[in-house]
Amino acid sequence: MSDASFLEVRDVRKHYGAIKAVDGVSFAVGPGEIIGVIGPNGSGKTTLFNAILGQIRPTSGSVRFRGDDVTGMSPLELSRRGVGRTFQTLQVFGQLPVRDNLIVAAQEFQGTLPGRLFAAPDAGLGERADEMIELFRLQHVARLPAGRLSYGQQKLIDIAMAFMAKPRLVLLDEPCAGVNPSLVDQLRELLVTLNKTQGGSFVVIEHNMDFIMRLCPHVICMVEGKVLAEGKPADVQANPAVLEAYLGN
Amino acid sequence: MNDFIQLIVSGTATGTIYALAGLGFTLLWQASGTINFAQGEFVMLPAFIMLFCMMAGAPLWLAFLLTCAFAMLVLGAGFKKVIVDPLIHHGVIPLVIATLGVAMVLKTVVRAGYSAEAQQFPSSFPAGQFSLAGITISYADVGTLILAAAIVIALQVFVTRTMTGRAMQAVAQNTDAARTLGIDAKRMVLYTFLINAILATVTALLITPTYLAKFDMGESIGLKAFFAAIIGGFNQTRGALLGGVLIGILENLVGFYWSPAYKEGVALMLFLVVILWRPEGLLGTAEERKV
Repeated sequence: MSDASFLEVRDVRKHYGAIKAVDGVSFAVGPGEIIGVIGPNGSGKTTLFNAILGQIRPTSGSVRFRGDDVTGMSPLELSRRGVGRTFQTLQVFGQLPVRDNLIVAAQEFQGTLPGRLFAAPDAGLGERADEMIELFRLQHVARLPAGRLSYGQQKLIDIAMAFMAKPRLVLLDEPCAGVNPSLVDQLRELLVTLNKTQGGSFVVIEHNMDFIMRLCPHVICMVEGKVLAEGKPADVQANPAVLEAYLGN
Repeated sequence: MNDFIQLIVSGTATGTIYALAGLGFTLLWQASGTINFAQGEFVMLPAFIMLFCMMAGAPLWLAFLLTCAFAMLVLGAGFKKVIVDPLIHHGVIPLVIATLGVAMVLKTVVRAGYSAEAQQFPSSFPAGQFSLAGITISYADVGTLILAAAIVIALQVFVTRTMTGRAMQAVAQNTDAARTLGIDAKRMVLYTFLINAILATVTALLITPTYLAKFDMGESIGLKAFFAAIIGGFNQTRGALLGGVLIGILENLVGFYWSPAYKEGVALMLFLVVILWRPEGLLGTAEERKV
């Protein structure tokens, strides 16, 4: 891992009474790095994401982004600092056309309030939206309401939206969930391309082991709110404790 | 046949007024999950504020502008801050009860503070009628139709073709996702309340010359606007327009061809038929709700 951490999560805990959803997790993400987070259901991965991204306030611990303490900062403020995310469930705006979904994902970073009130409908983002539409191969559905498309297509839109504003850091929560296996390889290639062309750092939660092992040079395995193992994908995969956590004794 | 067309024209004009108030219902519901049962009183109060301004010497256009500013402050930002924000996290029912309370308070304040008698209100359009292909149409109907249609179209353009409108739609469709994308959801919801206040003031300007300014004038308008929104589809802004126009036309036809006694029941009957046949409204879409 790089010393010049983009994101530094230090001893983050989130307790709900006696339940320790996240219990002292620390890790760091360097510029341009892709980190995978794996773990069985209920291991605290999404809670960790929510704590990092201000959806919930951690019980203790700190989150630093580009050197600034952003612990408990709102998703709105984090978004303005260049942090994007996707959710496990679809978050597209079903009644808006695909192209508008992409524009709305980045328009808040354009101009001043009065400017935004009377700006051009595409907010100067039309070209960027078209680029993303082409990259994600959504040209044929670009003008359709997003809600009419298949789950897999909506998932692609969801991910494209997270990258529209060229964020510095993106947290992807189960990008392959519910996606047709034929799309999984396409999705991995897209993320690699975006990482190379935009240079952002990614943290990816995923249950699809093949996907995460091929995408992420560094993997963290969480169990019961704690980091059980971390390191290169092959090492984590071969770790007996990880195998036991997934498969039992 | 001429009577029929005249009834359609004047019914459409009245219906677009119901639609304006009904649009407020749908906008507030979509943006914040608020059902405002004081919507009729939000029309009544501006009518009296305009009357007050005109008594102080202001011409109608100035009274309207001043009332718009008042409505945005009190019925828009004030209503959101004092009533909606503290209650919205407790679910729909407390908010419904609170808005019913607001309606009662506004009626009582106007009756006690101004008058219980119906007050004349000047029309924004010239008096008189003109004939077109044998059909007699009043200038007021044409003016109302044009102004109401222009406002509905402008609102539709604003919501669908501007950055702010698109952000408002995003907040209405998925607030959490919109926040994650950097959209200031609170501000977008505030804009919705301000727009609703302006719509209520325009509705007051258009309907009060016919209904007369009276403390309880909002009961009928509020109910018809609510029915218009439900009939058209509570989650579709253009649904309120369809619902309002349908009510306006059917009221006229029933009142003329059947009996004026049944006119006031048309909106309720139409509402019952639509809610049984198509609960999501004529243009609405079925929504999943978390329970």
